[in-house]
Amino acid sequence: MAEITRRGFIKKTSVGAAALGAMAAAPGMTAAHAAAGHPASGLTAEELREPLVAHVRNVATGEIAVLVGEREVIIQDRELAARLARAAR
Amino acid sequence: MSSHREAPAIAKDPVADSTDVYAFVSPDQPDTVTLISNYVPLQAPDGGPNFYEFGDDVLYEIHIDNIGDAQAHITYQFRFQTHLRTPESFLYNTGPITALNSPNWNRYQTYSVAKVAGDTSNTLAAGLLSPPCNVGPRSTPNYASLAQSAVHALPGGGKVFAGQRREGFYVDLGSIFDLGTLRPFEMAHLIPSAAAVGVDSTKGVNVHTIAIQIPRSQLMHDGSVPSDAANPRSVIGVWCSASRQRMEIHGGQGAIGPIGPWVQVSRMGNPLVNEVLIPLGKKDLWNATEPKDDAQFLKYYQHPELSGLLPVLYPKVFPNLAAYKGARVDIEAILLTGIPSGIVPGFQNFTTKVPSDMLRLNMAIPPSAKPNAGGLVAGDAAGFPNGRRVFDDVTTIEIRALAGATLPLVDKAFTPDGAASKVTDGVGPDNARYISSFPYLGTPLDGYHNPSA
Repeated sequence: MAEITRRGFIKKTSVGAAALGAMAAAPGMTAAHAAAGHPASGLTAEELREPLVAHVRNVATGEIAVLVGEREVIIQDRELAARLARAAR
Repeated sequence: MSSHREAPAIAKDPVADSTDVYAFVSPDQPDTVTLISNYVPLQAPDGGPNFYEFGDDVLYEIHIDNIGDAQAHITYQFRFQTHLRTPESFLYNTGPITALNSPNWNRYQTYSVAKVAGDTSNTLAAGLLSPPCNVGPRSTPNYASLAQSAVHALPGGGKVFAGQRREGFYVDLGSIFDLGTLRPFEMAHLIPSAAAVGVDSTKGVNVHTIAIQIPRSQLMHDGSVPSDAANPRSVIGVWCSASRQRMEIHGGQGAIGPIGPWVQVSRMGNPLVNEVLIPLGKKDLWNATEPKDDAQFLKYYQHPELSGLLPVLYPKVFPNLAAYKGARVDIEAILLTGIPSGIVPGFQNFTTKVPSDMLRLNMAIPPSAKPNAGGLVAGDAAGFPNGRRVFDDVTTIEIRALAGATLPLVDKAFTPDGAASKVTDGVGPDNARYISSFPYLGTPLDGYHNPSA
């Protein structure tokens, strides 16, 4: 996947929803976003409940594997990968 | 053993450990083919209270290549679900289990069967009951008939069974892994002792079996009935695999069950391959690889380590084998491509030049009226390596092949050593381990009469 901006990626594809979910799953982000009102209007109730795991394969390139159900979606998002890496400090 | 605990990673994951695959034209239903894949090796019959079962978190598959390109064109998928009737009891059963729907059976499994052909997946059946493990005469009386009631008909023809059976594979395990000792020939071993009879290491254990019987025409690429043994399209390639989802997070509120795509962790085609041919450093990789990508392992088939060891372990017994330095094209043909026409008179099971480890079954060859566990090399073309029947003596067949007995098929200049056609681990088929009808593997040993001690 060619590198694109995170905002543009989210806007263009449904995979963006998974990326947002991945952010919500990151330590320290869940409560803050929930309190602020998570911008998840594009997600169904089922999608909000369904667990997902974001595996940052390569922080430098921003390659993230989002695991949900029996699927794996690969996204490229340097900004998101960097934020997750900083959260893990 | 055939493929029991054969690789470091899968040895720690018995629920997903493919131990044997069988593929044969059904002797009592010759218009069908029976495909069997076994899991959960070396079950002590008294292994309660948590008796053996399939994994809810494992995708079990049997693959068929009916085109000859080393890829699956039909796949049967099996998924299991475990149920608990009385969570407050520690007991597997709270009374005799006399029927599959017995309320006395506390922990039981159901499963679904799906057929994947191309991009189309059809669930053939769901909610099918597996039989319980054979606990003992008080818990599972009339076990044989109880298990037979777990043979389910499939829509469109055929039948399926998934549950515990008696182990059908036989081998002198303790001897072979003690520096390649073959008890009947250990007087000739590098570290000699008196010759002895072989010991059947697996006669006292059970296994979990997935068996499916399919009309032959449903396995042909064009739906026809295979009738011409010389037709390459009469041959199917068969292998099984087990897969787990990529990730699981354990513990507390953050626990997430298996999630992500299925990843192959075990596979099997020909017996003893990952066990004996593939080196320790590559066994886990082999299990994760599809047959179409087996070219990377070609050298281990062409130059088997065991063939090099035999002349060392049995000094002066295999001089011709020791002198042979060429690639073992015979082993390659038997295990990776199939045997082309013209090698064995009246027989072929060639599928593809692409090196790919699969059982290869010529479905146009009828079952033998007088089966010989020695299979094709013993003159019985209905047996291994034409597919594999439950009683085939694959250990002896492969030991002899590795010793050079089959090399003249492709290299007329080679003369096998005299011992090549005689070596054996000294263990043969025991009819008590088999039954004459589906699922062909015998009634599992019960725990009461067959304690481990």
